[in-house]
Amino acid sequence: MIEVEGLEKVYGDFTAVRGLSFRVAPGEVLGLVGPNGAGKTTTLRSLAGILRPTRGRITIAGFDLVSHPIEAKSRLAFVPDEPHLFEYLTVEEHLRFVGRLYQVADAEERIPGLLEEMELDGKRTALPGELSRGMKQKLLIACGLLHRPQVLLLDEPLTGLDPVGIRRMKATIVGRAEAGTAVLLSSHLLHLVEEVCSRLMIMNRGRSLALGSINDIRSARPDMAGRTLEEVFIGMVVADESGDR
Amino acid sequence: MIGAFVYLAGRSTRNRLSRQLRRLRTPRYFVAILFGLLYLWAIVEQQGAARSGADSGSAAWVERIAALGVAGAVAWTWVFGSERRVLAFSPADVTFLFAGPVTRRGLVSYKIIRFQLTVLFNVLFWTVLFSREAFGVSPWLRAVSLWTLLTTLSLHRLGASFVRGGLQQHGGTGLRSGMLPLLVAGSGIAVLGWGLWNEAGGLTVALHEGNADAFLAVLTGALRRPPLQWLVTPFQLMVRPLTAPSVTAWAHAIGPAMGILALHFFWVIRSDAAFEEAALAHTLARAQLPEERRRTALTQSARRGLSPLMRLRPTGWPAGAIFWKSLISVLRVRPVRGLTFTGLTVGGAVALLSFSSGTSVAEVLGALALIWAVLMLLIGPQWIRNDLRDDLPNFDLLRSYPVRGRSLIAAEVAGSALVLTAIQLGLLAFAYLAFLGNGDIPLTLEERSLALLAAVVCLPPVNYLAMLIQNGGALLFPAWVRSGPERPGGVEALGQNMVLIVAHAGLLAALIAVPMAAASGIYLILRPVIGGWAEFAGAVAAIPVLVFEARMILGWLGGVLERTDPPAVAIGS
Repeated sequence: MIEVEGLEKVYGDFTAVRGLSFRVAPGEVLGLVGPNGAGKTTTLRSLAGILRPTRGRITIAGFDLVSHPIEAKSRLAFVPDEPHLFEYLTVEEHLRFVGRLYQVADAEERIPGLLEEMELDGKRTALPGELSRGMKQKLLIACGLLHRPQVLLLDEPLTGLDPVGIRRMKATIVGRAEAGTAVLLSSHLLHLVEEVCSRLMIMNRGRSLALGSINDIRSARPDMAGRTLEEVFIGMVVADESGDR
Repeated sequence: MIGAFVYLAGRSTRNRLSRQLRRLRTPRYFVAILFGLLYLWAIVEQQGAARSGADSGSAAWVERIAALGVAGAVAWTWVFGSERRVLAFSPADVTFLFAGPVTRRGLVSYKIIRFQLTVLFNVLFWTVLFSREAFGVSPWLRAVSLWTLLTTLSLHRLGASFVRGGLQQHGGTGLRSGMLPLLVAGSGIAVLGWGLWNEAGGLTVALHEGNADAFLAVLTGALRRPPLQWLVTPFQLMVRPLTAPSVTAWAHAIGPAMGILALHFFWVIRSDAAFEEAALAHTLARAQLPEERRRTALTQSARRGLSPLMRLRPTGWPAGAIFWKSLISVLRVRPVRGLTFTGLTVGGAVALLSFSSGTSVAEVLGALALIWAVLMLLIGPQWIRNDLRDDLPNFDLLRSYPVRGRSLIAAEVAGSALVLTAIQLGLLAFAYLAFLGNGDIPLTLEERSLALLAAVVCLPPVNYLAMLIQNGGALLFPAWVRSGPERPGGVEALGQNMVLIVAHAGLLAALIAVPMAAASGIYLILRPVIGGWAEFAGAVAAIPVLVFEARMILGWLGGVLERTDPPAVAIGS
């Protein structure tokens, strides 16, 4: 569903992402973890068609993102970490707006259900300025889910959510994956990654340090056997920083 | 403590300058600063030698007028206040200084240092700008004079804000602590009233006759006599170094001006006004009030809901959603219904007035509407921004939508072009009504009606092209787009504005040249055959050319949009 081959993104003389290759199958949740500046957001933005890759190939649901951007984008949803919304559209109008962009013929029927799922049904006529950060985040996710995307890209999806919201969001992510959506998410919350993701990619300085299930990653490093994910993550990043690997 | 403040101000300025210098590596910024400097140079050159040789008589005249201007500025500060601007600190200032071990006097010193940065920039700018001006002895001495005047004024505003803030917050206690400055200000206002009362006769006659020279003569004469002389003397002392015609005169003038500056400094630095709360309130108000007002207007509008006409169907042209969103952004913050109703009512009234004799009111209003309709062609595209320029903060979202670049720009631009066209047509319709019953103007009613019809046909594509130019500028030169709290300033901004205005006017003229030629050709051919309708036919003939040009530009800009990474588009990058 998501296929990435040799993805590289260069800004001037700075390489933000170098040589990334991975696949995310339908129903799979891949977690991107890494310290700040590791290249997680750049990777997600490249996959969403926001950034043009300097090198490499991205395929979304069988469509090359560069040569067939409209077909590819129609099948994905991207939820950024900063919930920027259109300040003059209400909650419901945001969904109608997205419905028209993605040509969702049954948008009107789907909107109430999504608002309920995201606990926004009492905020239908509210403007973004009246919403908390968490609510804005939920609205963005609702917008992303409206057109039943085959690929879901989530950048720090739990930021700003309360504990109940976090639980619901986890359920939403898992539910979409079970329905066959390929999900790629980035997060600093390692327990989320551990709970929700079937595989994970540890990134640092724009490169992939490890890719696989948590057990795969642990087994690849015998010195880290029995360690928690947090310890494995910190160990790998520190080793990479100090040039041990 | 002062060392820390100087460090903060100095480093901030240095870093800002170095960032601007680094930008010069990019050709577009280099061009901008080049234009800015060329513009300044042209102004300086224009002054030339024509103004040299000003005599002491004219220097004294300018001194009196300038003193009156300074007096007016000071009076404004006392009457209307400038606390919001003067007392407000930046959010970072509040975080570090208000929460830190900084005394009240320390905060005052910090404010003075911050003001100095603005003062020094202004001194540099105006000294360069008027380096060939006749008054004053040399640019260096004029710089000193200007620094003295501006520093005195900034200190005065600060002191006045303390007194006003104290009065507002502490009532009687504030009144006592600010008694002396209040007495001085009150006496000044009383003297001004007395002086103007004495001269009311002469000033009224001059005003009645509409004779500006006579009015100025009476005014300057009054300033030479008590009691107004007493009032303007301190202000004359402040501006005298600026207008001194010789080095000797300057040397005599600078001492008293410096003395007034020193008095102000001691007044402000020794002020014990408890201004922190007021400063915090003004800081908050400055940061949040405009946003709060906007939010309230938006919320009220959202509660009212949309008219059924504005409902968005889920299928159709995908980019139609962008166009719909752009229109909503205008409808939500502008009282369109009220404006339309008022326009129709006033339009009807002026139409009736135009049939009566003595129709000067309708004529004046009609002429003003006509002038504004034409001016909107140039300034409208910079004012009305419900398009890509307003959406730059949401660029990531826009880029992630399954919409081609050209469609996205087409829809964005359509929103602002429609609003601009509606305003212009409203103004033209108003002008049409205002001259409806007027038989004195050279155009017949039929010709006017046809001209209005031609405008209805022609304005949408012309405005579309104008908006395309503006949006193209935003896409190609994102750091020049004014959006958000941070706005470019200084010579660079001057250059940017120059480039934008000149480029906009030039490009628009170039783009409408061919359609206009086509329209003129059709008009000349058909005029003998169909008379006045040839105007309309010409306008119709221009449309295909305008549409073709718009399509070409859209195709190109769409490609640019698809190839451009958001970090390069983000504002101020």
